[in-house]
Amino acid sequence: MWYRLAVSTSIALPAALAAELAAIVGPEGVVAAAAARAVYECDGYTLERAVPELVVLPATTDEVARVLRAAFRAGVPFVPRGAGTGLSGGCLAAPAPLVVGTSRMRKIRALDLSNRRVIAEAGVVNSEVSRVVRAAGLHYAPDPSSQNACTIGGNVAENSGGPHTLKYGVTTNHVLAVELVLPDGEVVALGDGIDDGLGYDLTGVVCGAEGTMGIVTAATLRLVPLPAAVTTMLAVFATVAEATATVSAIIAAGIVPAALEMMDRTIVAAVEAAFRVGFPTDAGAVLIIEIDGDAAGLEDTSTRIESLCGAHGARQVRRAADESERAAIWKGRKRAFGAVGRIAPSYCTQDGVVPRTRLPEILARIEAAAERHRLTIGNVFHAGDGNIHPIVLYDERDADEAARALAAGREILAACLELGGSVTGEHGIGVEKMAELGMSFGADDLALMQQVRAVFDPDGRANPGKIFPTPGVCVEQRAPRRRAAL
Amino acid sequence: MRAQPEVDIGPVLVRRLGAAAVADAASCRAFSIGGMVPSAVVRPADGVELAAGVAAVGEAGGALVPIGLGAHRALGHGPARYDVALVTDGLARLRDYTPADMTITVEAGVTVSALADALAREGQWLPIEPPHPARTTVGGMLAADLAGTLAASQGRVRDYVIGIGTVTAAGTPTRAGGRVVKNVAGYDLMKLFIGSLGTLAVLTEATFKVRPLPEQQHGLVFRVRDLSAALALGAEIDGVLAVWASGALGERANKATVTVRLGGVAADVAAARARLGDLAGRHGAEIALDADASDATVAAVFASARDFSASAECDLVLRLAMLPSRLAAVAQAAAAHVPSAAALADPRRGVLTLAVASGDPQEAVTMIAALAQVADGHGAHLVVERHPDALAPTIAVWHPLPAALPLMRRMKAALDPAGVLAPGRFVGRI
Repeated sequence: MWYRLAVSTSIALPAALAAELAAIVGPEGVVAAAAARAVYECDGYTLERAVPELVVLPATTDEVARVLRAAFRAGVPFVPRGAGTGLSGGCLAAPAPLVVGTSRMRKIRALDLSNRRVIAEAGVVNSEVSRVVRAAGLHYAPDPSSQNACTIGGNVAENSGGPHTLKYGVTTNHVLAVELVLPDGEVVALGDGIDDGLGYDLTGVVCGAEGTMGIVTAATLRLVPLPAAVTTMLAVFATVAEATATVSAIIAAGIVPAALEMMDRTIVAAVEAAFRVGFPTDAGAVLIIEIDGDAAGLEDTSTRIESLCGAHGARQVRRAADESERAAIWKGRKRAFGAVGRIAPSYCTQDGVVPRTRLPEILARIEAAAERHRLTIGNVFHAGDGNIHPIVLYDERDADEAARALAAGREILAACLELGGSVTGEHGIGVEKMAELGMSFGADDLALMQQVRAVFDPDGRANPGKIFPTPGVCVEQRAPRRRAAL
Repeated sequence: MRAQPEVDIGPVLVRRLGAAAVADAASCRAFSIGGMVPSAVVRPADGVELAAGVAAVGEAGGALVPIGLGAHRALGHGPARYDVALVTDGLARLRDYTPADMTITVEAGVTVSALADALAREGQWLPIEPPHPARTTVGGMLAADLAGTLAASQGRVRDYVIGIGTVTAAGTPTRAGGRVVKNVAGYDLMKLFIGSLGTLAVLTEATFKVRPLPEQQHGLVFRVRDLSAALALGAEIDGVLAVWASGALGERANKATVTVRLGGVAADVAAARARLGDLAGRHGAEIALDADASDATVAAVFASARDFSASAECDLVLRLAMLPSRLAAVAQAAAAHVPSAAALADPRRGVLTLAVASGDPQEAVTMIAALAQVADGHGAHLVVERHPDALAPTIAVWHPLPAALPLMRRMKAALDPAGVLAPGRFVGRI
């Protein structure tokens, strides 16, 4: 049984619908001029581009509902879009011609500090949530590297992660309820913010559905207390193997750091060249290890981590002495991708996951792929989660090298599956990895997922042409051109 | 939804499934739900047999209820039709456990205590402690979304399940998620099936991410004058593994305790004890117990809270869930309608559980209706976790009905169009 969604490859947007939508959202909510629409041709995944025929930016849930109702009546599918920082082409405007963006929905509807909840509209920027509750000693834990730009609606759609998910979990662990506009314009409340399920957990199903079930217009988010104390360490190793062994040793010792990130020599050199944050450029690998909690136990745990690092060959372990040193370390990590842009004309980032114990193997496979394809591949990743981000450097003007970069990326993802992992830990399937999703699951598994999707979207109007491999349609990729900040 | 059975499909299944199915009266009676007795018990030895069993029940036009060991089958409405108890205790294998990956894959029939033992040998745990772990299977814990006293600090089952194996209503094996701790490939169907009470699919296997066991655990019990004092004290306690208030409503209401479960490295536990001692002093609470978790009394206190909702003495167990800030007001309002009940509250999570000896059925129905009104007044949920069979036709197990109920009905219709899986058991008698 295969549920195929009724989507043709190019769908026109009737002029009458365009006029109707413009009337709903008003002049401030319409992006119709060709130059302005061009901004919406892709997200952070730039390999495929499609300029939408029309972009509307509703300001309220009611406007979203009216927009979707009108599009539904006209038989026109739509693409939901947040800030456009996605990394897998999840908001590519094809085949649907209409982009419905939530960037004007920026209200924090309710702030309930005593119950540690906030209701944020879809267009609220991730870091804004933490900023408004910081004075109360709280924060919103999921922290994707794009957190100063990406928005809550996009975070819910992609089930976004970040460096601190090792201890705190990803978006779905922090969303208590969502307001969802179904593709026919009906507004439904999934969950009511009470931490005790009532009926099927549809909130959990919509998280990570990449906009294929409707448009999330608001979410009730769980807030957590800021840790009483934080210690951030930078451990320096001669080899990636030593650093990886240290990651395993820390986990095996029963320590769950708040973050456990690795950067290899290529990335460290790039970061140093760009930002001079004080990373040792002659190191084979560095680990950023952050622990948080009560001050009392932190000293103990830091000492244990330092001795584990030493036992596995660390030549130096440096503790950030103050907030500015900590900030410098994180700046180096979170801006690593930007730094890479300065040492290679083009690069593409992969996102795969392996069981933690298979990290040495996947890193060896990445190195072998780099040699085989005569490429440089740097590694900066969430080591504690086994979530790798190999960065393939190449020159897009060199067609042969570009083809080799693409092949290397595919080989690495296949290796992740072979080692018992996943083809995406946090970037999503989007259009980029539809083929790889087909490698990850059987036909029955995918059919079940599409049955679930059809409950929300029986006519395939919400973000068609994403996630699910369509039988008989093969997306031809000519070159990887991915620039990513994660 | 399927009509009441016209023919007894027990013998049909015995013929088709061989030794995996039995239809004798004693076996069937052992799996009655709400007074309904199935006409066969199917006990598959593995996932393949299970899938064949589900397919066979569907083809015979029957309905089944998936059951682990049956300890929690009191939760939910009685099934609209119940031909077969599909008992999963034969699927009891540990499939994969690499401690350094901090993930474990087990079959659905593994008991929670067997899972905990396997993890503890490697210094790890799944910080979900449902009632009666030795009589609770992993499948049952997921299906009923059982949350123990640790939920406020450690999260619920949904936060730990990273992969799932299921059999659809048509008898097709499917899976979602995987075996790695971070994964966004495909829809998160784990969330859909957790808490669905067997109405959408039969669970066959689950993969959990697990955590290191705290280096040290410690119990503290403070004695206070009554439940409201306990709630006031409990509301001020944060940053601990668990805190709960125990007391009573009604006649025995003049005594209560606050129990705190601490965990972490020794220095953290020591610091928390000092902090809590000061706090209790300010509340005029007396320290009744202060000992390591290995102490038998502490272990008994933890176990009694864990097993509270499944304790044998009471036949009516009611759970009110709300925003934590409403807890004191809800407890006070509830007291006006409950003559006598043992109470356990989680002030951090906003849950109040009441265990009642129901007595007269009409009075019980009236009390439940009154508590539903209390719930409405405070935006709370009322769940009748357990009730005497006599109340079954008249009460709503879940109140209020969720706003998204029509969507939920569509989900059921899409995944189980013929009503094979636990029909009528769920919210709104889905």
